[in-house]
Amino acid sequence: MKSFSRQILTMGNENPAEKALNLIRGRLCDPTFVFRPLSASSDSNYSKLKFIVSTSVTEGCNNSILLLGPRGSGKAAVLDLVVGDLMEEYPDSVTLISLNGLLHSEDNCAFKEIARQLCMEHHLLFSKMASFDENSQFIIAMLRECGLAHKTIIFVLDEFDMFAQASYSRGKQRLLYSLLDAMQSVTSQAVVVGISSRLDADQLLEKRVRSRFSHRKILFLPPSREEIDSLLEHLLSLPADSSFPSGYVSQFNEKIKNITSDTRFKDMLKTFLNANSTVNSLLKFIFRAVSSMNLESGLLSLENFKTALSSMQRQPKLEAVRADCSILELYLLVCMRRLEVKEQSSYNFISVMKEYKTIHDSFQTSDFYAQNVCLRAFEHLREREVICYAENRGQSQAGEYRSMKLLISASELHQGMRSHACCPAILLKLLDH
Amino acid sequence: MRLVLHLDSISISISISTSLFFFSTMPTIAGPSSSPHKHIVAARSENTGVSEVNTPRKRKLRSDSAAEVASTAIVTESSFATPMKWKSPRRCAVSSPKALKKEDSKGKLESPVMSAVKDRFDCLDVKSKWNPRDDDQMRAVKEALHVSKAPSTVVCREDEQRRVLEFVKGCMEQKKAGSLYICGCPGTGKSLSMEKIRQQADDWAQQEGLPCLETVSVNCTSLTKTTDIFSKILGESETGKKVNGSSSPLQQLQVLFSQKQQSSSTKMMLIIADEMDYLITRDRGVLHELFMLTTLPFSRCILIGVANAIDLADRFLPKLKSLNCKPLVVTFRAYSMEQILRILQERLVELPYVAFQSKALELCARKVSAASGDMRKALSVCRSALEILETEVKGSTDQEPQSPVTEDQVVKMDHMVAALSKTFKSPVVDTIQSLPQHQQIIVCSAAKAFRGSKKDRSIAELNKLYTEICKSSMITPAGITEFTNMCTVLNDQGILKLSNARDDKLKRVSLRVDEADITFALKEIRFFRNCLL
Repeated sequence: MKSFSRQILTMGNENPAEKALNLIRGRLCDPTFVFRPLSASSDSNYSKLKFIVSTSVTEGCNNSILLLGPRGSGKAAVLDLVVGDLMEEYPDSVTLISLNGLLHSEDNCAFKEIARQLCMEHHLLFSKMASFDENSQFIIAMLRECGLAHKTIIFVLDEFDMFAQASYSRGKQRLLYSLLDAMQSVTSQAVVVGISSRLDADQLLEKRVRSRFSHRKILFLPPSREEIDSLLEHLLSLPADSSFPSGYVSQFNEKIKNITSDTRFKDMLKTFLNANSTVNSLLKFIFRAVSSMNLESGLLSLENFKTALSSMQRQPKLEAVRADCSILELYLLVCMRRLEVKEQSSYNFISVMKEYKTIHDSFQTSDFYAQNVCLRAFEHLREREVICYAENRGQSQAGEYRSMKLLISASELHQGMRSHACCPAILLKLLDH
Repeated sequence: MRLVLHLDSISISISISTSLFFFSTMPTIAGPSSSPHKHIVAARSENTGVSEVNTPRKRKLRSDSAAEVASTAIVTESSFATPMKWKSPRRCAVSSPKALKKEDSKGKLESPVMSAVKDRFDCLDVKSKWNPRDDDQMRAVKEALHVSKAPSTVVCREDEQRRVLEFVKGCMEQKKAGSLYICGCPGTGKSLSMEKIRQQADDWAQQEGLPCLETVSVNCTSLTKTTDIFSKILGESETGKKVNGSSSPLQQLQVLFSQKQQSSSTKMMLIIADEMDYLITRDRGVLHELFMLTTLPFSRCILIGVANAIDLADRFLPKLKSLNCKPLVVTFRAYSMEQILRILQERLVELPYVAFQSKALELCARKVSAASGDMRKALSVCRSALEILETEVKGSTDQEPQSPVTEDQVVKMDHMVAALSKTFKSPVVDTIQSLPQHQQIIVCSAAKAFRGSKKDRSIAELNKLYTEICKSSMITPAGITEFTNMCTVLNDQGILKLSNARDDKLKRVSLRVDEADITFALKEIRFFRNCLL
């Protein structure tokens, strides 16, 4: 209790570095803030989506649209932005119903969920005992009512491809058919927005459902270099308001500018983006970098970004080899690799020992241990999951006769051994030949 | 007396001259297209002086509406006559009088073209300029093109509608039951035609004094169980009777149709079953029983089934053939280019302004009929083109609010081309071009790996190929965990296909995208081009 109250006292006097850290971390976790600058340009996905949905709201015509893009590219975030803006502009004319393909792909379940959400929106009582027929009639009636009252219902179908692929509806896609068919009638006023990461999501639809879909697709591509630069500036610059000491703000922003224009940073960013270029992974990268900020100086540095990069591109097995293996274990790994290279399809402990003896005989190494010591080294490697048994059968056999395989690739082994603290040179030579 | 008569004749002559004046001013607005009317041609030659004055201001309007009229005129004739080579109206806006005069020689063409042109006379006078910045006008055009708006007349389906209506009328007259099966691709106007036939049958029954038709219209997707269709049919016809708990609705219907009816004025029942293939179960029982209902001795139902499969009757109802009650099959073929064009123009002709360049409409019709012949797609493409125009116009408004509305701001060819590419292009090429570099290398190695006959490989083999390509260009390859993650990301996007296996390394990978698409997407980058050789 005492420490807790002390914490509350110190919160008032936290230094600006901590405040800045909290502010930036808060920003990175808020998708609305991240995607807001993208809405400024008129050609962005935000404006295209807003145009389509708002024309449906104002003109009362029905529409259906599909948002496609890899995971983490901001589809749901942009849709939330658009819906939020529309709810502010037209407070009483928009109703939002959201479904998720992972949860609601079965027709019964989906109709119940739609009916429940409609009931909640319009303050009606929802009965869990309602049958499928009753639910569907209720939905049709509500669509008609909302159409007459000029209220638009926006149906958001997350994981759209799951709706199209549900195996237990035997390919009948009833929910999609009913929703898209309702778009065809004059009495209803609704928009169906599908979100999917499968590019061919509309090819998964049955042809009569596809005919009713209006073939509008918005593709979410990874951001370009200029967009990334402006995004970095937007996220990391501190605002010049009174809660921060003014000298600190200008210092911080100056440091950010220096870092982002540094060529080393640009190379680092390029390496990172070569593996994964979605906005989500970029945010995670910045989050890690910011979290490792030095709180005493209160400024970010290039080192923060470097540690973030290495923590995101971890290679666990390589680290196991580099940090955790003894010389004997390295010997055993090299022997297994040589057996693999010699095209021996399966090998067990005994054959590895044979290889080990051959190496010792030909190179007169000083590290030659007895079989039981090697067996213990083997067990250690197996616990670290650098090697494992090749099959699960033959569990009754003794461990020495069961076939084994490597779980680490040759290049990773090589790299691990090269960065090992005291790997003998002979081993590296043996690995290459 | 004579003076009075003289005055009368003067007044008559004045009225004649005024009417002649009005008559002759009309062709100045509708110049080239009015040639079939012989006396108007004469009047035009008289008043060419007047017409010259008017032409500069109204030239654009005349050619626009003239083009539209010429196109409709020519299209109507092509739908009746043998297909002629259709000249683009824009090119021969000046020479169209000659073209139309040639067609005058075919006597039968004169009347439909003349009547079409006569109708246009009324609208031509009021065809105002279309201002795309006006929200009301834009809304009206969009509404005219929306799928949910059913047109007042259903064109291009007269033949099929006539056949079905005759069948229904025949059944009603003879008080006999019958079954009909309507098939066709989606978007060919089946459900729309069913609605019209229903109304027409009702009207005809009232006209002839027959008892009016009871209709049960069921969309089979809304049935929880397939046998529910019988209770729906029963519920319509026997509203007063309590549902007997012991026998199923099907049995009740069978009993009903096997007994002679007490009352003589029994109503015929028209059952329309939409999306009938939802009724297909493994033992095909329900579908069979439904059609068998029409074979019972005292049955009074006319069954019309609607579905997409052409051979549904043959495949699923073989026993009916032996009982000699195979349903009549009416096929709704996919729309041809001329039909799509005609339907689009019918929808647009009711508007008092011209919003689309006719060449653009022709392009849309051509492309959609070549792809699927689906009317909904054509309407969607037109609306999409309209939206492109709207964003263009609104975009320019923001920059120069003072500029006047430029003439000819209709939907042109380039808008339609953009809309067509948006609808028909798959997003695969764009996505592959914007993938991060390592993922592009993976896609490339997959393309190379699956060139031969081998259709799937394990992740480890793909990893080997990937590392080779990376090494050949001095790029550090990613480790196996990172590689598997990237393969999962590509699987999510539908570019690769990963099978499920317990062990990560044993998963099988196959390619979902065409190799040609990959080559096309990556052709700009020399590295990949060499790689894929």
